[in-house]
Amino acid sequence: MITAIGFHLSHFQAMTLFALLISIAFGFLSRRGTNERVKYFIWSLLLFLLIGVGIGWAMYPFSR
Amino acid sequence: MSDETTADAAAVATTPKHSATTPESAATTPAHPQRSEALAFAIGVAGWLVPGLGHALQKMWGRAIGCFLTVGALVFLGVGMRGNLFSSEGGDAFGTLGYVADLGTGSFYFAAKALETKGSDVAHAEGDYGTRFLAAAGVLNLLAALHAYEAARGRKA
Repeated sequence: MITAIGFHLSHFQAMTLFALLISIAFGFLSRRGTNERVKYFIWSLLLFLLIGVGIGWAMYPFSR
Repeated sequence: MSDETTADAAAVATTPKHSATTPESAATTPAHPQRSEALAFAIGVAGWLVPGLGHALQKMWGRAIGCFLTVGALVFLGVGMRGNLFSSEGGDAFGTLGYVADLGTGSFYFAAKALETKGSDVAHAEGDYGTRFLAAAGVLNLLAALHAYEAARGRKA
């Protein structure tokens, strides 16, 4: 019997979690060596968050 | 956890050892190109069916674990947020596209079907995010499978 799972996340939490997981995968796939991967992961995560929040602010005037 | 040299090792493994040509030319023109191409294709399919398996077969352990965990986490979270898992009876073009993206997770698609006992709820933002998580997991796994295929062909990965 599989128990139903449920998560309650805010918009920002969901976006951050998405950015975190995708950045980890990108780091592993596109770079070799731990240092290069960590650098790429941080860079990708920051860009995801920055662009996500930026687009959110840009769409604010059209939200209502 | 470092697997820096394994891609090159995989390239060497697909190169025949009894070739009379120089190592450089042997790397580009293997004696059994169809066999190594079929092997690379099988590795790509394995990577699609089980996320990370394509890399694990080439002893790229870091990438294998990374793919398995990230794709697995995206699917688990997507189902937990009650995202829409598309089926083959999608109807419109977006439904078909969503089905193809979801099917990209390979065997995890069926695991997600089993986990999704309550069904989807896209009336709320969470469910909408969950749908994106599931689709992104599929596309990411397809990317990883393609990466494993290219590495098996001897391309620098």
